[in-house]
Amino acid sequence: MDWLLLALQIPLMLLLAPLVQGIIKTSKARWQSRRGPGVLQPYRDIAKWLSRESVASDQASWIFRAAPPVYAAAILFAALLVPTLERRSPLPAIADAIVFVGLFALARFWLAIAALDTASNFGGMGASREVAFAALVEPALLLVLFAVALPAGSTSFSAMVGDGWPGAAAVPAFAALLVVTIAETGRVPVDNPDTHLELTMIHEGMLLEYSGRPLGVIHWATQVKQLAFLSLLAALFFPWGMADAGSRAPLALLLGLLAWFVTVVVLGLLLGVIETAYAKLRIFRAPDLIGVASVLGVLAVMLTFVVEG
Amino acid sequence: MSHAIDGHHDGELERRMSNETRFAVAPDTLPNACLAVVEHLNARLALMVGEDERASSGMFRLSYTFAVAQGQWLTLETLIDPAEPAFPSVTPLVPAAHWYEREVQDMFGLTAVGHPDPRRLVHHDDWPDGLHPLRKDFDPSLPVPRVDRPAETFHTLHGEGFVEIPVGPIHAGVIEPGHFRFAAVGEAVFDLQPRLFYTHRGIEKLAEGKTPAQVLQLAERVCGACSCSHGVSYSQAVETLAGIEVPPRAAAVRTLYLELERLYNHLGDLGNICAGVSFAAGASFGAQLKEAVQRLNERVAGNRFLHGVNQIGGVRRDPSASDLHDIAATTTHIATEFRSFIEMMLSSDTVLERLKTTGFLPAATARALGAVGVAARASGVDVDSRRDHPHAGYPALPMPTPVVVRSEGDVYARVLVRSDEILATLAMIRAVLDTLPDGPAAVSPGRVPGGRAAFAVSESPRGENIHFVRTAPDGTIERYRVRSASYPNWPAVAACVPGNMVPDFPVINKSFELCYACLDR
Repeated sequence: MDWLLLALQIPLMLLLAPLVQGIIKTSKARWQSRRGPGVLQPYRDIAKWLSRESVASDQASWIFRAAPPVYAAAILFAALLVPTLERRSPLPAIADAIVFVGLFALARFWLAIAALDTASNFGGMGASREVAFAALVEPALLLVLFAVALPAGSTSFSAMVGDGWPGAAAVPAFAALLVVTIAETGRVPVDNPDTHLELTMIHEGMLLEYSGRPLGVIHWATQVKQLAFLSLLAALFFPWGMADAGSRAPLALLLGLLAWFVTVVVLGLLLGVIETAYAKLRIFRAPDLIGVASVLGVLAVMLTFVVEG
Repeated sequence: MSHAIDGHHDGELERRMSNETRFAVAPDTLPNACLAVVEHLNARLALMVGEDERASSGMFRLSYTFAVAQGQWLTLETLIDPAEPAFPSVTPLVPAAHWYEREVQDMFGLTAVGHPDPRRLVHHDDWPDGLHPLRKDFDPSLPVPRVDRPAETFHTLHGEGFVEIPVGPIHAGVIEPGHFRFAAVGEAVFDLQPRLFYTHRGIEKLAEGKTPAQVLQLAERVCGACSCSHGVSYSQAVETLAGIEVPPRAAAVRTLYLELERLYNHLGDLGNICAGVSFAAGASFGAQLKEAVQRLNERVAGNRFLHGVNQIGGVRRDPSASDLHDIAATTTHIATEFRSFIEMMLSSDTVLERLKTTGFLPAATARALGAVGVAARASGVDVDSRRDHPHAGYPALPMPTPVVVRSEGDVYARVLVRSDEILATLAMIRAVLDTLPDGPAAVSPGRVPGGRAAFAVSESPRGENIHFVRTAPDGTIERYRVRSASYPNWPAVAACVPGNMVPDFPVINKSFELCYACLDR
C-alpha cells in the first residue's frame, strides 16, 4: 500500500469529481448557447443536499438507508484502484481489473435494491432498466480490460498501464471503453442525466425517492464514478506525464497531476459534445450500442493475438 | 341538407346564424339523426352544448353541432324533461360524442343512457353525488364538501406481467397537472387512461350574469398558450350576436396576432419535441426562437401571451408603423434561424429514429374522435378552420390558407406539419403586413341583443377553438361554452400510445402538445 499516493488520491477523487462534472455541464451549456450556472455549481448542489434533512417513505426499510453509504464506499474504493498520478495504483496489491468491475457491480446492486425497496414505480422502472443494461455493459467492460491485460500478462492495473499502449488493438479498445463510460455515467445516447421526464429515466429514476443528505451522497459518489472511468480511460490509453512507479519526486507527481487533470477534462468535454450532438436512443436500441462496445472489445482481444502475436 | 336526416327530425328551427341549419329532434331519434348526419353528410361532431332552460322553457336543451360542408354547420337540438333527466346516448353510434356526453352528465346531471363508458369525466371521485355545477340552481359561492365515494376513475387490468404505472398529476417538470395510468408489460404500453380535469376554474359558470365585455377577460385566460385564439373566437361569437362586422383593418390585425401565436407555439413545440428525445441542442434552439417571438409579442402587444389584444368589435392593440416594421424585421430574422434549426433537427439520425413510427394515430381513429388541428392534419385529415370556416382576415389575404396535410400519422408527421406551417405562417405574416388596410381598428358593438345564441371558431396552434355564447334577455351572458382544440384531441393521445414503449410517451405527448387548462376551463 502506498500511503502517500493514497493520501493524495482520496481528496483528489472526492474534491475534483464535482469540478469535472461542473466543467462538463458548463461546456454543454455553451454548446447549447446557454450561459450555464458555472463550473462550481455541483459543489453548491452537494453542499445544499448535505445540509438538508432527508425525507424517506414510511415504506422504506433499512436497505433504503444503507444503500447510499454502501454505494458511495464501493465507488470510492474502486476509484482508488485506478492509477492517476503515477504508473501504479495507490493500492497495488488489489488494484485488479476484476475487482474494479466487481466494486461497481456491488454499488449498482445496492442502488437497484434500494430503488425497489420503496416499491415506487419509477424506482422499479429505473432499477429494471439499469440492471438490464448492466448485464450488457459489464461483459463489454471486462472484454476491453482483458484486451489491455493480455499484452501486459496481468489484470493488475499497475501492469496494464503501459507506455501509451500503441498497438492496433488500442483503437477498438478505446472506442469500446468510451461507450461503456457513456453507459456507466448515464449519459446520452443511453440515458439523460438532465431530464425531468420520469418515464424516460434510468439512473435518475432510481434516485427519485431520495432527498437531502443521502441524495447528496449518491450524486457525489456518481460524480466520483464518472471521474474514475475518465481516469481509467486516461491511464490505459493516454498515460502521458505519469510519474514512474514509486517516484517520490514532487515535480514528477505535480506533472502527473497536471497531465491527469488535463486528460480527464478533455475526455469529459468529449462526453459533453456527444451528449449535445445526439438524441437519446430508444430504450430497446440502447443495447445495440452497448453490443457494439462488446464487439469492439472482442475485436480488440483478437487484434491483440493476431497483430501482437 | 335536410334530406339526409329526413324522418329523424321534427322540423327545421329558425336560423340564428347565416351559416348554420338547425333541426329539432326528439330525444328518442337523436342517436339515429346524429348518425345520419355523420354518414350522409360526411360531417364531424364539433360541439355539444348542454343548457339549463328550466326557468324559461322548463326543459334542458342539448345541441349537437356538426361541421358539414365548407363553412356550414348543422345543429340538432333536443329538449329533455327535468322530470326524467336522461337521454339516449349518441356515443355508441358517433364515438366523438363520448366526452361531451360524460361532461353533460357531470355538469347537468343528465344521464346518457347506453353510454359505453359512463364514468365521471370532469368531476373527480371525491365530488358529491347529485351536485351539478352548471345547473342554474347551483350556487358557486358555497363551498363544496369533499366526500368519500368509491373510486371509479380507472379500469384495472389483470394478468401475468402487467404493471400499473401511475404518473402525475404532479410532475418533475413545471408543467400542467394531469394523471396518466399506464398498464404496461415490461416496457410496452398496453393501455393508457388519462385522468385530466385538474384545472377546473369554473369559467363557464363564472361567465353567467356577466356582460359580454367582462367575459372577454375570462375568455383570454382560458389557457395561456392560445389566449389570442380564445379571445378571437369569443369576440367573433359576440359580434355575430350583435350583428356587427369588424373593420377590415381589425380583421387583418387579428390574423397577424393569430399567426404570431401560432409561430411562437410551433417553434416552442418543436424545441420541446427535441427535449422529449433528449436532443439538447435542438431543445435550446427551439426555446431561443420561441423566446424571440414572445419578446416581439411583448414589444408589440404589451405582453408575451397576447392577452388583451382583442376587443368586441375589433382590436385594442392596433400596431403602429414602427411595430409593423419590428414584426417584419423580427420574422425575417426568425425565418433564417428557423431554417438552420429545422435542418439541424431533421439531419440528426438519432432524432429521426426516435420520431418515425412513434405514436401512430390512424386516420380512422382521428376522424372517429373528431380530432382537429396539427394532430388531425398529420394523420391525413384535411381540416383547418382558417380555410373551412373563414374568420378574422384570412379570406382577405391574397393567398389561400395553405393547409399542410401528411398521411404518416406519427410524431415525425406532426413535426413536419408544424415545420411546414411555420413557413406558411411566416409567409402569411408577410402578406398581412404588405396588404394591411388603413382605417379604424374597432367599431362599437352597441348593445348586444338578449335571448340570442351564436358560436364562432378560430384556428389556434392546436386547432379549432369554438366558443358558444347565449345571452339572457337583459344582454348578459346566459350560457358560455368553450370547446378548445385540446378537447377532441386528448382522447386521440390516449388512443395512440398503446403499443409504444413507456419512455416514448413524453415525446408522443409533446408531439400533440395539448393544453390541460383550456380542456377543463
